Amino acid sequence: MRTNYTITAACLAIMLLVASGCARRPQVTPVGQPAGPAPGTQLTVAMIPKIEGIDYFNACQRGAQEGAAELGVRLIYRGPTENKVERQIEIVDGFIAQGVDVVAISPNDPVAIAPVLRKAAKAGIKVITWDADAAPDAREFFVDQATPQSVGYALVDEMVAQVGPEAKVAIVTGSLTAANQNEWIKHMKARIAEKYPKLTIVATKPSEEDQQLAFTVTQDLLKAYPDIKGIFAITSVAFPGAADAVEQAGKKGKVAVVGLATPKGMKPWVKSGTVKTVILWNPVDLGYLTIYVAKAVWEGTLRPGAGEFRAGRLGTVKVQGREVVLGEPFKFTAGNIDQFEF
Amino acid sequence: MSLAGIFSRRESILAAILSLAILAACIANPADFPRVSNLLEILRLATEAGIIVVGMTAVILTAGIDLSVGSILALCAVILGKSWHGAGLPIAAAALVAVAAGAACGILNGLLITRFGLPPLIITLATMALYRGLALGLSRAEPVHGYPDGFLWLGQGTWKLGPVALPVQLPVLLVVVLLGGIVVGRTYWGRWLYAVGRNEVAAGLSGVPVRALKLAAYTALGLLTGLASVVYVARVSTAKADAGIMLELDVITACVLGGVSIFGGDGSVWGATLGLLIVAVARRGMDLAQVPSAHQSIMLGLLLILAVALHSAWSQAMHRAALERAGAVVSEGE
Repeated sequence: MRTNYTITAACLAIMLLVASGCARRPQVTPVGQPAGPAPGTQLTVAMIPKIEGIDYFNACQRGAQEGAAELGVRLIYRGPTENKVERQIEIVDGFIAQGVDVVAISPNDPVAIAPVLRKAAKAGIKVITWDADAAPDAREFFVDQATPQSVGYALVDEMVAQVGPEAKVAIVTGSLTAANQNEWIKHMKARIAEKYPKLTIVATKPSEEDQQLAFTVTQDLLKAYPDIKGIFAITSVAFPGAADAVEQAGKKGKVAVVGLATPKGMKPWVKSGTVKTVILWNPVDLGYLTIYVAKAVWEGTLRPGAGEFRAGRLGTVKVQGREVVLGEPFKFTAGNIDQFEF
Repeated sequence: MSLAGIFSRRESILAAILSLAILAACIANPADFPRVSNLLEILRLATEAGIIVVGMTAVILTAGIDLSVGSILALCAVILGKSWHGAGLPIAAAALVAVAAGAACGILNGLLITRFGLPPLIITLATMALYRGLALGLSRAEPVHGYPDGFLWLGQGTWKLGPVALPVQLPVLLVVVLLGGIVVGRTYWGRWLYAVGRNEVAAGLSGVPVRALKLAAYTALGLLTGLASVVYVARVSTAKADAGIMLELDVITACVLGGVSIFGGDGSVWGATLGLLIVAVARRGMDLAQVPSAHQSIMLGLLLILAVALHSAWSQAMHRAALERAGAVVSEGE
């Protein structure tokens, strides 16, 4: 029993030691310090994807590393193992405790991430978003791959080119709360209402960045709506899952699959003819641009409404208000898909 | 000296592990970890799970389990949002409705388990899907936000106590843990939980109201989950149906790490809370040390295995020591 008290006392002593350790530590950097790293210190950018370990974000990471090497920026890249915003909140909180200079995040939920982003801003950290946006008042800039309107229009126009203007289609999305996916869907519906009113969306289903789930969801859609003509699969994980389901159901050529994904991930189905076109942008460039924007925001050289921004090997990109746009969506087809390694 | 000789209480093993975890985190991150603000933030982020862990301990003590807590959290969060935004109730009333909804989910779990005699694992697996579906259907996947600042302060704000900024939800966690620990550890009701977990038939024959007790345990868990959902919505400022996915795993991990035996009848609220803190400290320490998320999962898995092995060894050593004290002959190779 006595040993027990000794242990408890020892534990308490350790914890008190830890807590008192802070008394000697200098304060966190005061708010209102001049922007830009002090001469001789390196800018630290913390970059957080929606989820770690999928091709699309791995490509973004490569681009970010390239940009960081060019600019002499220290890049910390870390994301959750599931596309959940709760884990992202913890990760950002950890970065605040570490005192990074810039946080660049692709959030799984635009509203839920906002409180911790505002907390980061209060601690003197610059906050930008990329790939998917957060609540606009919680971040300084959003690095957008392509305007949601151009993405939505490209998807719908491509589908109509394949199935005609009168058909039943369904949407397989990632998560029902992701801002970027919802923006694209909004513009898809606007395009349909404006130009192709006879194109009917029969269902919108989430697949939570899980290819297996996307496969099952698509299978169910094919069974539930036997006269369906096209599936929109608008994430890089949903697209292969949906294409696989259509091919395995023997509906290649009868049901069109149009979506957004990395060309490398979609190669098998483009070669087999199930998928005619893959729409995307270059995620490597997106990661690269994010780092350039991060540095410029930190230094104060990028101002809202600047109109344009020079980003290394990308040249000049457009800036609309507080949004930096990478460019127009790109179409990968059987003709050019071999040229890309992401 | 045997394990049981050094640690005569299971909780002291956990306190030792927790101190080691804190030390390791401090060594790995000497500039960032040992700060009061960092430690307080760890507690803030662990509050919701901590509240639920107290209730889960009571349920697991009866040799039961509840896999539906994540879904209950989501459903209560959605109900809070809908009560406030859709039905126009004042936020405090909406919060009470959310807590009541949690209790209702718990009652349903308890009734299904005690009436049908099916394993709690199966019943709560089903209700996990049921409650999640209800949450999705009620919310139609549209999150509710725009809560009043006073409410958000509950999850995001701080109380200034001298130089220290205490997260607002921290007293809530402390009260729940203290009350839970006292009720489970020091009341008749608490002792009945252990009795039912160790030997349900004997407990029943000895006059313990087994069915009512189990129902109470699941209801308490549901109610606490409802409370956690209020804190959750205040913290992330949005009520959405996909909240708390996999939360049940985090809660059960904390309980098991904290020495609550999955077979029932062993463990305590204090241990489970220490287990939760160990996981929270380990995760934060690894985050600060730039450990990639995938590696963190591996580390936590190993930590869990280690803890379970330690608890098992300790239980056996305690059992052996008790037999020796009673003068029984303990043969080798047992």
